[in-house]
Amino acid sequence: MAERFDAVVVGAGPAGSMAALQLARAGRSVCLLERGPFPGSKNLYGGVVYARVLDGILPRWAEEAPLERFVTRRVTMVLTATQSLAVDFRSSAWGEAPYNGATALRPEFDAWLAAQAEAEGAVLVCSTTATGLLVDASGAVVGVRTDRPGGEIGAGVVVACDGVNALLAKEAGLAEAPDPSHYTLGVKQVLRLPEAEIERRFGLAPGEGADFEILGGTGEVPGGGFLYTNRDTLSVGVVLSLDGLSRSAVRPEEVLAGLTAHPAIAPLVDGGEVVEFGAHLIPEAGLEMMPRLAGDGILVAGDAAGMCLAAGIWLEGVNFAMASGSAAGEAAAEALVAGDTTRRGLAGYEARLSSGFVLADHRRLRHAPGLVLSERVQRRYPEMVCNLVEELFTVRNPAPKPGVVQMARRAARRSGVGLGDLLRDGWRAWRTFG
Amino acid sequence: MRPLVAVCWKAVELRAGVDPLTGEIRPDPRSLGVSPADEAALEWALRAAEGTGAAVRVVSAGGPEADGVLRQAAAAGAAELVRVAIEPGSPSCEVARALAPHVAGAGLVWCGDVSLDRGSGAVPAFLAAELGVAQALGLLEVDLGAGAGGFSGLRRLDGGRRERLRVEGPAVASCEGGTARLRRASLHLMLEARRAPVRIEAAPPPRRPAPHVVGRAPFRPRARVVPPPPGEHAADRVRALIGAEAPAGRARVVTLGPEEAAEAILEALAAWGELP
Repeated sequence: MAERFDAVVVGAGPAGSMAALQLARAGRSVCLLERGPFPGSKNLYGGVVYARVLDGILPRWAEEAPLERFVTRRVTMVLTATQSLAVDFRSSAWGEAPYNGATALRPEFDAWLAAQAEAEGAVLVCSTTATGLLVDASGAVVGVRTDRPGGEIGAGVVVACDGVNALLAKEAGLAEAPDPSHYTLGVKQVLRLPEAEIERRFGLAPGEGADFEILGGTGEVPGGGFLYTNRDTLSVGVVLSLDGLSRSAVRPEEVLAGLTAHPAIAPLVDGGEVVEFGAHLIPEAGLEMMPRLAGDGILVAGDAAGMCLAAGIWLEGVNFAMASGSAAGEAAAEALVAGDTTRRGLAGYEARLSSGFVLADHRRLRHAPGLVLSERVQRRYPEMVCNLVEELFTVRNPAPKPGVVQMARRAARRSGVGLGDLLRDGWRAWRTFG
Repeated sequence: MRPLVAVCWKAVELRAGVDPLTGEIRPDPRSLGVSPADEAALEWALRAAEGTGAAVRVVSAGGPEADGVLRQAAAAGAAELVRVAIEPGSPSCEVARALAPHVAGAGLVWCGDVSLDRGSGAVPAFLAAELGVAQALGLLEVDLGAGAGGFSGLRRLDGGRRERLRVEGPAVASCEGGTARLRRASLHLMLEARRAPVRIEAAPPPRRPAPHVVGRAPFRPRARVVPPPPGEHAADRVRALIGAEAPAGRARVVTLGPEEAAEAILEALAAWGELP
């Protein structure tokens, strides 16, 4: 084996770069492999990054990271084909340190984060794909094979941050065969608009950003949408149930076109020049799809470990990736010092995740993905709520106003929602979020 | 002394956004690299060197950002890296003059036929003139044969004609990207190349003052060829083209300021379905 490092991290996304940074900071030799020509080059994400997890690791992140806008406006929308209902929250406190969240374009953000790992001493190798694991006679992982000539790299620990398909975790026997219902398809376009025009349309001060999370608005396909303001672009997209998408036989770009043509969204995106268009799988089933996080000589972090929180009101991923990568790096460094990189020696990884928000949030909200991704929540309830609000605010003089309960019953009936469904889902929601 | 084969590389941004309305170019420094033609040039140099035991020297004229690109050449197998520090935007003749001392003495100097940043492809010709050696430019095919230091090639000429050449060194050759694919660097060389030294050389002062741009016309995208309008006869097509048969009442006269007028025109075109 020609090359040898203390650790190899596969994938220079937020999880991988954080793992490499922590290993390098602990004085270990670490190789960070990235299959794209630069970190972030293959990434599609353009959303809100909740980077408070970096406070203790890269304290100057808010000044140094290539962030687009600090989010001060959070809008939660419910859409049907012709209606919309929005809860519009603003906080000027979010626009000041300590910031809450910021929009970012991942090609820039990932490149910056990987550069921090390199500055600590990690060796970044781009345009190189890890094609498989090297294992010893006992079955322990001892490195990776790459697609370059002479491309075997020996390592005490492999940290697999190779993304949603989790190919290395599967090869190591840590992940099950994928269940399509555990994944959604994110389809996004980036539209360019002048900076001042974005601020005018969204009612923002310079540097401030808006985050629109949308339930419904995806036609026949269960799903939701999003709209984020970047500095001089908008990220607008849909997140679609894979099962629903395949059943509907509708193309994902048609669903996105439907969203951008919606009367509530069209004025916001009107005239934007399309500068990017793409799609990516999102692991959304949380704890239910999470693989075993450690094996002999290997740790799994980020999307490869299903660490994306899709819990309706909370939609987070990059912070979970960064925190899991950081924990993996620390645990790997600790195991290398102890000279025990077996599964037992790497147990510090899961212990760190359990004591922090990563596994605590996933455990607490373990039923949320099932509830949020259900057909009723995705389609029936948006329709029901919009119908109810329309009833409430429609003046039908000279007819007198009906009672609110009567209106609610009528709205539920029109949307095909029974009282039993409401009670059941209400109880599930209480258990999940209460 | 070990024989030398030289390669001239130009580091360019492989991707750049262009605003379709203003023509403003939005650079993407992360995509800095070289053209497929430059990569092919290095591949031919490496193959030629393998046949003759020569060392491959890669020379680039540019700023410090080119160093990372030069190290990609080292990963592929180049032995020496030289960067000539030159003002960006220098004319081709000055670039060739800056490169010449560092490729002099090479049996063959390989170049890409044209760089990706709207290059004119003139540097190899100027370089041959500076060195006083033969030139074989715009090669579509290369055959190194027995590897005695020369090569045979098929060269593109004007009007679709071709010319087959036999070249013995010393010479400057420029090749198209399709002639060869640069070998994939081994992992070991990739890691070694991160530390490969780049020798920095100063460019000579310009021989004569470079022309200054004193004015620039706005960007004009090239005309698009669109399908002809329907109609069997020319007169029908002309009528369709000028909208003579459009429903009456479509035109309206308005008196507006320039900005409002532009808005009104765009609105009308959108309403008529003439805009995407």
